[in-house]
Amino acid sequence: MICPFCSLLCDADDLNQVCCRRRESSLVEVTKMRSWHGSSILDSESVSNAINALRSATRILVTGRISSVQTARAAVAFAAKYNATIDCAEGGHAFKNILAIQRSGLNSVSLAEARDHSDVLIVVGDDQLLAKVPRIPSALANEKSVKHTVLLLGDFSEASMSIWREAGFDVWFVPCEMNAVPTALAQWSRWSDSNRDSLSAAGPLFEKLAQARYTTVLWSAENLQIENADLWVERMLQWIATRNENTRCAALAWSSLDGTFQQVCTWLTGFPGRIAFLARTPEYDPCRFSYQEWLAKKPTTDKRKSVLVVIDETASATPFFKVSDLPTDTQVIEVTANSKTFPTAIAGVEIAADIFRADQTLLARVEPSIEPRSYAKSAPHWLEALSRW
Amino acid sequence: MVTRLYGAVCIDGVRKTEVRDLFLEGEMIRSELATRTRIDSEYKLDNHIVVSGGIDLHTHIGGGKVNIARLLLPDLVNHRNPNSDRMAAEQPWLKPLSSPVPGTWETGRRYLEIGYTACFEPALLPANARHSHAEMADTPWLDTGGYLLLGNDRLLLEWIRDGVPQEQINAYVGWMVHAHQCCAVKVVNAGGIDAFKFNQRHLSVDDSHVHLGITPRQILNALSQAVDSLQLAHPLHVHCSNLGLAGNIAATMATIDAVEGRRLHLTHAQFHCYGKDGPHGYSSAARELADRVNADPNLSIDVGQVQFGQTVTLSGDTMHQFANRKLARPRKAIFQDLECQAGCGVLPFRYRQDQYVHGLLWSIGLELFLRIEDPQHVFLTTDHPNGAPFTSYPHLIRLLMDYDYRMSIFSRLHPDVQKSSPLPSLTREYSLEEIIKMTRLGPAKALGLNNRGSLCDGKLADIVVYESCENPEQMFSQPKMVFRRGQLVYRDGVFLADSIKSTIVSSVEIEPQMDAMLKKIWRTRYGYSTEMISVRTGELQSERRIVEEN
Repeated sequence: MICPFCSLLCDADDLNQVCCRRRESSLVEVTKMRSWHGSSILDSESVSNAINALRSATRILVTGRISSVQTARAAVAFAAKYNATIDCAEGGHAFKNILAIQRSGLNSVSLAEARDHSDVLIVVGDDQLLAKVPRIPSALANEKSVKHTVLLLGDFSEASMSIWREAGFDVWFVPCEMNAVPTALAQWSRWSDSNRDSLSAAGPLFEKLAQARYTTVLWSAENLQIENADLWVERMLQWIATRNENTRCAALAWSSLDGTFQQVCTWLTGFPGRIAFLARTPEYDPCRFSYQEWLAKKPTTDKRKSVLVVIDETASATPFFKVSDLPTDTQVIEVTANSKTFPTAIAGVEIAADIFRADQTLLARVEPSIEPRSYAKSAPHWLEALSRW
Repeated sequence: MVTRLYGAVCIDGVRKTEVRDLFLEGEMIRSELATRTRIDSEYKLDNHIVVSGGIDLHTHIGGGKVNIARLLLPDLVNHRNPNSDRMAAEQPWLKPLSSPVPGTWETGRRYLEIGYTACFEPALLPANARHSHAEMADTPWLDTGGYLLLGNDRLLLEWIRDGVPQEQINAYVGWMVHAHQCCAVKVVNAGGIDAFKFNQRHLSVDDSHVHLGITPRQILNALSQAVDSLQLAHPLHVHCSNLGLAGNIAATMATIDAVEGRRLHLTHAQFHCYGKDGPHGYSSAARELADRVNADPNLSIDVGQVQFGQTVTLSGDTMHQFANRKLARPRKAIFQDLECQAGCGVLPFRYRQDQYVHGLLWSIGLELFLRIEDPQHVFLTTDHPNGAPFTSYPHLIRLLMDYDYRMSIFSRLHPDVQKSSPLPSLTREYSLEEIIKMTRLGPAKALGLNNRGSLCDGKLADIVVYESCENPEQMFSQPKMVFRRGQLVYRDGVFLADSIKSTIVSSVEIEPQMDAMLKKIWRTRYGYSTEMISVRTGELQSERRIVEEN
């Protein structure tokens, strides 16, 4: 059994017995969603009304929380059909990494490689990492007898450190501002390169870092609450690239469930998921085609011709935008678990879904654990219905 | 549905090239029909040739490294090429790809537009298998298959170090091929990708892995035995050690020796047959390799021809991709260490005809084509996109069929290439039959695709019709019609219908003991169950997708 509630995609044998916090809270959300009874019949009037709105629209944005390959395919095809803009709700996080990679390249490592091979792990961030992905320490801890080192840089509580210790790591913590991390690492590299003979005098941590055979640097874009985070990522990537001139070092840049959407959009269109279609040809602009930019833009002509298509196939009940943020008179078509018109089955919970693990290496088939609600359909089903004209 | 094609010259390299009728009945080719069979449509094709659908046995069209190359290089995408208007006026058949690594929609469309109907992804990382299959499923019109990347999976390397019985390795390879729904086994720089993870920067065939102490020779030998023991249709598909290095012909010859006479396919061989002579310490060793291929019926190659222009190189060979990082144009690259199984390196690259080494690579590729006598032992590839995008195949065909044209390009190369290359002395010009053998019959045989590759009775009706033309580049760039499984899907530049696609897999029995053993090992080493990565046959099937065994 694979857990679809975070981008780690745990498939521990004891998943049902030992829930993590994230899984527990998600199961509560699922229960709430399933307690609501909606329509059980495809309402053809709702579909035709939505199609009419889409056909007459001059601006369409497709956005949402898209976690499965199946829905990502349907969403991109839908956007192409209507010449819409498409950007997912968490695109802002994903593009912190993507923009940096597109400028500077990347040295990266996948989860199991880091688990098996990395002897020093540098984790940059704060407690939010474990709130979002509670089991990441155990996923990275191998069963070898030698304890590997984890250096926590940022703002971590004692509770977080305990979790890393319990997973079997030799834990070191250096509190610091996130913004300062790339500079500090670069300074340390310069210092250690020029003081190779006196590393032991600098203390055991410096010695461990300098002697590391394979260093993995882990951060989660979702937790990078700093200005110009893409530049921060770029500086980290440059530091890692420099390290590889003499030793081995790689990034484990953690993404969220929307990594699946980014992958699928990229393979279908050639671009990651901030694109607008013009005559069915994709155009890529990570700034211009963000959903925030779309929402902020005031229609110059008839306001009624803006349509926002919101897709949400996750178990999260928290809306990712406020209705008050929308341009006035924008029509919203909701293809979500709680939608009254287009109730959507939860991917990986109620229906099978292919979902990427956050390191983007492994695509898992997540089988459903409960029967879908009788009235809920898959998001691709609704998107295809809304494309038929 | 029955279709009759008549008046065209049928070429398949099996039967005599001549004008004859061809019938497409359902999904199959028929040379004759039962009496009173109703013919639904007929096409009079005077001045046309009819061939079977092209088969590309080595093209990077799906999976992590392809997608990460797309992500890295949005700046190379140009849907509105500024040169396209001028080019369209001068050479209307030449349509550039929007990018060296276009999206799947464009890839499928453009392959069909040059008459190809089956393509094989040659480096499918086990952990990434479902992704690769999903991407290929989204590549319209093409039948697809994948070669499983082994030979850098740490588990196998440790077993070789520990001297486990060959039977255990055979069972492991069988399990892996089955679990990941592949049709062949590929090895890239045997052991070298893993050695690079331990900071080893060079590993030739008889060098030792710095951590495990084993040699590539041992890995190649074990895997070739496994492939033969499992009776996989395609021989071990090998990307040799020392990619791109001057003098690497020695490693290539050692690789051939390592498999001790078993079947072997060397891929993108052009990148692996360099000597150390010549004005810049870099020379052609194509003759040495071609002689070996000509003498050994168990040996085949695909060329990986270079063409001049911008492309992107993507390979599992992180060791050598990393070594070339400073050659990246634009200056950025991606290197990944993946899942204790392999890695990948993505490096944008521009081949220039005025650059000595680049010109030499171009001429070495052509030398290989021209020196290898049997076109069923040398296959037409550019290792898309590494040597060039697949859309350059028609141009490459013209280079092979037209000596004067070949020399007109050769005369533009760096003067030292012109002085040192033996290319002008190779006056061979490929015939149409040879081109068809090299792009259809040969790859079908090499992959065990018994229902494809010719126009014989009972073969799959994947048919391409070209209007005869003196310029083969023009002819092969714009088929008149393409039939997929008997259905007309493309005519005169217009796509008429979608087609059923198939995924080609090898049928391998798995051993229950190996299954149980790997379930335990997977949990310990990778931290997850084998269920996470095993691709079930049902996942590859739908209303419009089927699974075929080779």
